[in-house]
Amino acid sequence: MIAARGLVKTYGSGRAARRVLDGADLDVARGEVVAIVGRSGTGKSTLLHLVGALDRPEAGTIEVAGERVDGRSERELSGFRRRRIGFVFQFFHLVPELTGEENVLLPARLPGAPRGAREHGRELIERLGLGDAARRRPHELSGGEQQRLAVARALVLDPPVLLADEPTGNLDEESGAAVLALLRSAATADRAVVVVTHEPRTSAMADRTVTLVDGRLQPAEPLLFGGGR
Amino acid sequence: MTGAAALLRGALRLLRSGRRRTLLAAAGVLVAGAMAGAALTVSVGLGSGFDRSAERADLPDVVARFADQPPERIRARITALPNVAAYAPRTEIANVRLRAGGESTRRGSLQLVDTTARRGYAIVAGRDLPRTGGNTREALVEQGLARTWGLEVGDTIEVGRAGPVRIVGVSIAPDNVAFPLATAPRVYLSGTALAREFGGELRVNQALVWTHDRSRTDVTLQQARATTYGVGNLRFVTRTGTRLIIDQAAGVVVALLVAFSLVALIAATTMLAAQAATEVGRRLAVIGVQRALGVPRGAVAGEQALSAGIVGLVAGGIGVTLGALLVRGPSGDLLAALNETPPGSALLLPLAGLTVLLGLIAAVAAGWPAWRAAGRPPVALLRGGGLAARAPRRRAGGPGRAGFLGLGARLALARPGRAGATVVVLAASGGVILLMLGLASLLTALRDDPTAVGTRYALTVTAPAGGAAAVRRVPGVADAGTRVETRGVDSFALGEPVKLTTFGGDVGRFVNPPLADGRRVQGTGEVEIGTGLSTALGLGVGGTLAVQLQSGAELRLRVVGTVRALQDDGRVAFARSDRLLAADPSLTPDLAVRLERGADRAVVAARLAAIGATPTNVAGATTSNRSFLDTLATVLRAVALLDGLVCLYALVQALALTARERRPTLALLRAQGAGTGTVLRVLLGAGLVLALPGALAAFALQRLVFAPLVAQLAAGYADLGTAASPAAVAAVTAGFVLFAVVAAGWVARRVVAEPPVHGLREG
Ligand SMILES: Nc1ncnc2c1ncn2[C@@H]1O[C@H](COP(=O)(O)OP(=O)(O)O)[C@@H](O)[C@H]1O
Ligand SMILES: [Mg+2]
Repeated sequence: MIAARGLVKTYGSGRAARRVLDGADLDVARGEVVAIVGRSGTGKSTLLHLVGALDRPEAGTIEVAGERVDGRSERELSGFRRRRIGFVFQFFHLVPELTGEENVLLPARLPGAPRGAREHGRELIERLGLGDAARRRPHELSGGEQQRLAVARALVLDPPVLLADEPTGNLDEESGAAVLALLRSAATADRAVVVVTHEPRTSAMADRTVTLVDGRLQPAEPLLFGGGR
Repeated sequence: MTGAAALLRGALRLLRSGRRRTLLAAAGVLVAGAMAGAALTVSVGLGSGFDRSAERADLPDVVARFADQPPERIRARITALPNVAAYAPRTEIANVRLRAGGESTRRGSLQLVDTTARRGYAIVAGRDLPRTGGNTREALVEQGLARTWGLEVGDTIEVGRAGPVRIVGVSIAPDNVAFPLATAPRVYLSGTALAREFGGELRVNQALVWTHDRSRTDVTLQQARATTYGVGNLRFVTRTGTRLIIDQAAGVVVALLVAFSLVALIAATTMLAAQAATEVGRRLAVIGVQRALGVPRGAVAGEQALSAGIVGLVAGGIGVTLGALLVRGPSGDLLAALNETPPGSALLLPLAGLTVLLGLIAAVAAGWPAWRAAGRPPVALLRGGGLAARAPRRRAGGPGRAGFLGLGARLALARPGRAGATVVVLAASGGVILLMLGLASLLTALRDDPTAVGTRYALTVTAPAGGAAAVRRVPGVADAGTRVETRGVDSFALGEPVKLTTFGGDVGRFVNPPLADGRRVQGTGEVEIGTGLSTALGLGVGGTLAVQLQSGAELRLRVVGTVRALQDDGRVAFARSDRLLAADPSLTPDLAVRLERGADRAVVAARLAAIGATPTNVAGATTSNRSFLDTLATVLRAVALLDGLVCLYALVQALALTARERRPTLALLRAQGAGTGTVLRVLLGAGLVLALPGALAAFALQRLVFAPLVAQLAAGYADLGTAASPAAVAAVTAGFVLFAVVAAGWVARRVVAEPPVHGLREG
């Protein structure tokens, strides 16, 4: 589902230049949940943003669900994000002016969104037990509720790839667990899920854990992280 | 000194770190500067025009006019008066035929100059008539004539019986407006040379008098009246009298422009303050660190103020210069029409002052929020103080049916203070634009539509069989009544023409120019006279107007009111017909026809012709003033254009601030797959929610405030239609929507130019 090869990304220039990704490769199969771990500042978010076409790599190729991402125009990229990617952020990023439901249905309003998307969104709300939260504004909700709404929003257009950047970083134990369960269940037969984290319990629920070190991904040390199923 | 250097360095760093924001702020100051610079150029030009030109032309304090006299007699009388510093005799010959370069007029005013005395005019091209008298083949022409007829120094002009003479100089004298605004163009010949050539002495009919103490001119005039018995038809025109007439017209324009530039300055200040507040909000943490490190509050605010002040000064200077250049041409034309000279370098100081003011405004607008923020405890600032997402106040309105437009509207309204300020700016500028459009159509009306200047009838017809009653029955006719119009001359001051218009019944039914003094005509034997006539004859309410008719008969009427009529330079009089017909029974009345509101003059005229009433169109007041009105319209249009730019700037600024503040929201939308079109729609929603109420408020403002204000200012001249026409309203609305589209498009392009991740990292 995801095949990224030799990704390079540098921040800054001249003597301040810092190569955050230096030939990173990432492969994720359908139905798989992959956890990316690594110390803070190693470039995990950067990697996720490249895969999600929110930013461009300096070198390397990215293929998601059979579509090449690198070297496309901004216009093509926005279409790609709409069709292929669902994104969940550490800080939820709900629009404060909109109710929970409006936030979830936001992608369904985009031009080019499939017809049944709104229905699907309402079903999701129902299924996730967010009916009450859907009627409120984000500032009236708990972090867990906000993040679950954010996951529902990421799934509204039924994307083949779900990317989550430290989705539990701002949550207490209990709501974190609920969100993780939700992500786990999102990894259906034709969807891949990638979760960036530095919490062991997140990688515990993943099918596979990889570590970002010195700009490259390598299999995680089984001693440090539970690994496997 | 090192403290100041550090401050400056800090300020420059701020500018560099936000180049785009700096450019936007600079654009705002530039537009406001252009607007204010334009207004100032015209205002200073017109406001000080008379005094400056009078000084330059050495304009006399009093001009006495009288029937022809031997020069010695006049000299003796005048030099005997107290407070007289100098005196110049002058001989004016009216209605002289002038011909040059294919143009001609029979209404030339030939001025025979005593070259040994002071002149009372300024030379703007060529040279003056020499003190020694020169010869009789040399002439000066007034600038208005030279401009209108395209005459230059060295050309030849034919002057009545004097024949062809060479133009050696071009003159102006601000005691009257210029030809063709004034109907009689002036040509000056050397009276001294003429007298020498014909070996006699010239009789004089004018005396130019300069006083020692201008404030005591009144006393001198009283003495003069008492001692000049025996001098027929004596009239005086004083410098203040002249100034009053000319200034009134200019006053309206000046007042309008000053109001407009205030609007522009307020707009710029508001938008700058809004921008500065956002900026400071974004930099709270930085300010917190500065404060925690012990940077004094004043230094924090000073850095902001200084950086904004530098931008204000530079952009303001450029804007002011541009604005001044933009209106220099039209305003010069306007001054020329008033026989006044452009201010030249006298303008530099006010323009420089304005630039400094703009810099100060920018500095205060930016420094104030920083000063306030820096006053809070550093801990609060470091925690992000006011930037914590505020709970939106409005309840959610269900799933927004308007979609992304609606979302944009909510984003804009999430900052009620800024939204309000933007709407106010748009309303003020939009109101001014509407006013401009209104004035532009008024100018056209002044030219073509008699009802705009107090003439309520648009047609006159020869009386058909069945008389007025038959005419009144024609569809489109509101009223019809007999009218007698004739030209005569004032019998005290022969040569002063008077147009007398009289009506069978109530005069107010057909003419109602604004009253300057006294009351309207009610009975027979009463007359209203135009201010032009009033000034020319020195005749006021309570006086007697004596008109010598073409038949030779004389008609005497008591003046009960003076009116501001524009026709025939205001040398008009309105009365009831009875006395006129009694004095000259040979006059035949015609019918004045008032049209119903909205009736088409041409259609009604055709219907009248069909019943045997031959129609004649009544002209607007100012057929000879076309170029003056056009010039005025050009000035107003230039200002309106700048004002439109203010609106556009306000919208761009408001949207740019919203986009900057809601960068995460826009980035999130893009992360979900929103393309440029969706971002544009969101910003357009934000733009429209400001622009449409702005347009509405503009209509209200124009209707309730500006229009009545201008109507009051202009009350002396015309009856202003105060409501904006539907076309103007539509144009302004469409313009605002267009501005919203342009602003949204511009900001949207900038938003999608960066990868979404930047906005999301801000979190
Ligand atoms: N826009 C940027 N400009 C400069 N440096 C950046 C930018 N974004 C991230 N970085 C730097 O790149 C490195 C990797 O960041 P990030 O991908 O967020 O790491 P992680 O998510 O693993 O904590 C960090 O050192 C961060 O400071
Ligand atoms: Mg990260």
